[in-house]
Formats: sequence, structure tokens, C-alpha cells
Amino acid sequence: MNHAQKAEIFNKNEAKVNWHDKALWYVREKRDNAAHGVKGWEQLRDLASGVKAHVLSNLDELLIEFETNAQKNGITVHWASNAEEHNKIINKILTEKNAKKVVKSKSMLTEECHLNPYLESKGFEVVDTDLGEYIVQIAKETPSHIVLPAIHKTKEEVDTLFQEHLGTKPSDGNPEYLTNEARKHLRTKFLTADVAITGVNFAIAETGGFVVCTNEGNADMGAHLAKTHIACMGIEKLIPKEAHLGIFLRLLARSATGQPITTYSSHFNKPTEGSEMHIVIVDNGRTEQLSREDFRSSLHCIRCGACMNTCPIYRRSGGHSYDATIPGPIGSILSPGKDLTKHSSLPFASTLCGSCSNVCPVKINIHEQLYKWRQIITKDVEQPVVKKTILKMTGKVFSKPKFYGLAGRSVRFMLKYAPRFLVYSKLNAWGKARELPQIKNGNFDQWYKEKRSK
Amino acid sequence: MGREEILNSVRKNKPELLPLPEINADLFNEDIDLLSGFKEKVPLVGGTIKQLTSPKDIDNEITMMYPNATNIVNRTQVSSLGTVSISDKTQPKDLEDVDLAILRGTFGVAENGAIWISEEQFYIRALPFITNDLLIILDKKDICQNLHEAYELISKRKRTFGLFISGPSKTADIEQCLVIGAQGALSLTVLLI
Repeated sequence: MNHAQKAEIFNKNEAKVNWHDKALWYVREKRDNAAHGVKGWEQLRDLASGVKAHVLSNLDELLIEFETNAQKNGITVHWASNAEEHNKIINKILTEKNAKKVVKSKSMLTEECHLNPYLESKGFEVVDTDLGEYIVQIAKETPSHIVLPAIHKTKEEVDTLFQEHLGTKPSDGNPEYLTNEARKHLRTKFLTADVAITGVNFAIAETGGFVVCTNEGNADMGAHLAKTHIACMGIEKLIPKEAHLGIFLRLLARSATGQPITTYSSHFNKPTEGSEMHIVIVDNGRTEQLSREDFRSSLHCIRCGACMNTCPIYRRSGGHSYDATIPGPIGSILSPGKDLTKHSSLPFASTLCGSCSNVCPVKINIHEQLYKWRQIITKDVEQPVVKKTILKMTGKVFSKPKFYGLAGRSVRFMLKYAPRFLVYSKLNAWGKARELPQIKNGNFDQWYKEKRSK
Repeated sequence: MGREEILNSVRKNKPELLPLPEINADLFNEDIDLLSGFKEKVPLVGGTIKQLTSPKDIDNEITMMYPNATNIVNRTQVSSLGTVSISDKTQPKDLEDVDLAILRGTFGVAENGAIWISEEQFYIRALPFITNDLLIILDKKDICQNLHEAYELISKRKRTFGLFISGPSKTADIEQCLVIGAQGALSLTVLLI
């Protein structure tokens, strides 16, 4: 199924779509308030973009610097070219540690590598400890948003899930009660876990350390209670110096949720006595994206989710309609680089309004890249016959003013006099689920000429 | 395995070297009162903040705020309320039943209400997260404007583990309703002296 078809499923529940749309727009507004309160916000974005562009142009050197410094601090560094290698490395560490139970905090990379099902197939217990991720895990779903993984679920749905999995009492979806029950359950998991797996928000070449940001404190609960901590990062998470965190931490939470900073911004540099710290550095298609000049800057992304919250398509189609680990506008420029055929409908899931590019804290020209993917996809991937034919006809009409005028007149005539079943037929997508505007006499061209002659 | 393959692929695909931009901190300087800025931000991130007139009031204040706390870890010189002592023999799991942890903060950040705390202050890394409630004592002189200044202040530290902490643990993962108290401490109180 393509994006439009999946979006249609999401749109069956109108009340839910409206809620989803408004809830995300509210987050966008909070982002605006937070951003407007920072002096030099635009300069911060420029700096962030410039630092990331430098990183990509010097990535090999910075990766080596990071590895050397991390090793000096007693961290073990692993390298994985793809998802399979990543999962195998983690399996190997878990097996060597004789681990049974694993707690995880949010990591879009491990989602991308499908680590959970892999580890479960090897017999490990894996628990996602971010509340939103925990909800989608027990619902056997995937996150529909990178910052708000369970934004597609109503509180009543969470209530039912918790009754089944945690034995909670029916509470009409009381968020305080449900959060507290999850807290109690997850505490037992933290206390008995052998290994904690976290993501990495930023890795610093200069110090060999890394920073993990959460609001819930779950990454820290996992990492400090388990004897072994494995942190997984894509190669693009690197920044040159610790002082650059000043730029990125000022941008990240404000762009993501409108908070001035996440509750916990934890700086890991060295394991404690008797504990182990591992870092897995992963490529999985990133160096290939690096080779594409037009799409390279998509690797600047710091995973704040602002482009999703602002996108009129995302808000009304839901994250699952993208059928990709990273949904929304940024996902739609990352995913085609991984599998052009599977994700060929994603760059079309946009009005090209440019709002995503305007809110992006690292200034990725997302909407321009969406447009560029469309140029590639229409050449490389077979398009539906109806779309092809209509676009061909439109092209001809637009190239001949007389033809265009005639077409306009006949459309106006049709909309006025043709029977409903014809106007609202399958061929006219614009008449789907809405009434077309009433047709007045005349057109813009006539109106303009009359005005000028006066 | 992956290492050489990845590095070679980066070398082949990366663009020509682009300059690393300089941070001009002057661009972000604001003429604000640091103390009142910080005091405004802490409640916004879900924390409680109180300014004491004398350090002698610390223990009274804490007892009033947390009357039911019995297992207390105190890591400061200015309070004497500690009931649970920790040492290098302490396992993080032993802290499961800690009601309150009292720590000293290194400095606060006016722009976001965050406080830098590091391993020297809490000793066992799990402490600020596993404790039921967390109280940080901060000198009112130790407040900087923004994160650019903050990173300058911690640039010479011993790097093991440390964090910016801003308010109590929280989540909005159920229908975007903000709930204070997710997996970490349920409350954060800042006492300014």
C-alpha cells in the first residue's frame, strides 16, 4: 500500500484524526513560543547547520578522533556497516555477558535495525522503557512519531492495553494512574536488567564522550543500574567539540516539545569501576546518502520531530501511513535513499509548503529535497497510469494559452451543469470527501481585463 | 569488519572540507538578571525553588517539605539530615528505597532552569534518578546565563559522568497529558542559599 492508501485508513476515524492534527499543532505552537524567546535563534540554526556540514565533510577524521578518545576512557568501540552487523554485535556482547534481560531507552537506530525482534528470536527479554515506546511495544506496533511514539493511541486504548499486560484497574484512561503503574512495573525491570541499551543524541569527537537526552529518566535508570551499557549511534551523530553541545542542546528540546531543555541531558564519558560501556557506530546506508549531493544534508537531522508536528500531511495522515522507521517530512527524504521502490510514494506526501524547512533547527531544505526525489522517482519508478495520463494532459493544456482557456471554460461548465455522479466520480480526487466550490460566471482573465479597461 | 569499510566509504563519498563555524557568544548575550531568570524557569520545568535567608534554615526547610522522608542520602556539608550512607561498596540497586537525596549543584543555567551536577556530587550514578525525591542546594551566585557559558564552566572538569538536570522526571506520552514523575525522581526542589 502506498502512503495515500494508508492515510485513508487512518482517516476513517475522523474524531481521532482531528485530535491528532490539533495535538501536534499545539506542540508546534509551543515550539514557536520557545524559539521566539531565544535571542539569536536564527544564528543558532545557522551555526548548527554549519557545524553539521563541517562534520559531514570531515567525518572520517572525526570518527577516528572519537574512537581514540572513547577508548582512552575505557569505552569499547564497535563498528557496524549495516543493521545485520549491528544486531550481531549486540547479540555477541549479550552472550558474552551471559545476559538474559535487556532494558532499552529510545533509539530510532535500533528501530531501524529491527533489534527487538532479532533479540527476542535469540531468547532475550527486551523491554522498551520510554513510556510511549513501552505502549507501542506491548501493542505490538511501531512508533508513529520519533519523539511522541504513541501519539496515535487514545488514552482509552492505553487503558485497555495496561489492563491486559499490567493487570491495572479500568480508569477511563487516567494518565496519572497509568503512568504511575508503568513506573512501578518498569522499576522492577530496571532493577533486574543485565544490560541497558540506549541511543546517542550527540557524540563528541574531542572528548570521546556522548550525550543522551530524556525527560523520563529512563535512559539513566537503565544505564546506571545495569552492569553493561551499550549505546548505539549512527555515524552522523558526531560533533567536533563539547562546546558545540551549547548550540545543539539549546535547539533540540525547544524544537521538539517547546521545553527549554530536556529534563536530563546526561554526559557519559567513562564507565564506573566494575561496569562496561560499549558504543556501536553504525553506517546502514548513511555513507551512501553522504554521496548524494542533493540529499546529503538530510544527515544533519538531530531527530527533534519539529517537521512532523508542523506538516499538514503528517498531522492528518498519521505516522504509520509512511510505513518507515522515520515518518514525516524528514523520513520522506531519508527513506527513498534506502529503498526507492518501497518508499516511492513518500516524497509525494507533501504539499511542498516548506513549513518543515522553516522549523528545522539544523536548516535542512526538506521541501526542496522532497521535490528533487520526485524528479528521480518519476523517472525510475513506474507511476500509476491515471496519474501519468492526467499529468501529460495537464502539461499540454498549460503549454497552450488557448487550450487552457477552453479547458477552464469547460470545467466551469461541467461543475455547473454536469450531474453529481460525474463531477464526484473516482477520476476527480478533488471531489473526494468534500464539496467543490460554487462556480461563478466569468473567470480571472475576464475580470482582470475588465478592471484594466476601466 | 565494519570499521575500514565505513571509513573508506566516508572518504569516497564526503564533500570537500567545509570550515567549522566559530561560536560568537556575544550574539546570544542578553541583559537579564540571572537570579530572577533562573527562579522563573525552575517552576516552568516542573521544579520547586526556594531562596533561604540563612544556610541554618536548610534542615528545617527540608523537614517541612519532605516530612515523610526517612531514607535520606545527604551528599552535602550544609545539611545533617542524612540517614543512609553510601560508599564505594554501595551497589546502585541498594538505593531502591531512598526517599530523598540531597545534593549540591555546581551551577544553574538561567535560560532553562537546568543545574549541572556531576558524579563527585552524587557518587553513585543512579542516585539522582532512583531516589523518590531530589533536592539540590545551589549557591545563588552560581548561575550563568546560557548553555554557551555553561560549557565554558565545565570545560576543565574531570570527565566521568555528569548531567544538566531540569525539573523532575516527566512524560506526556499518554494523549499529550503532562504527568510529573515518570521513571526518575518524582520531584525536584532547588534551595538557593
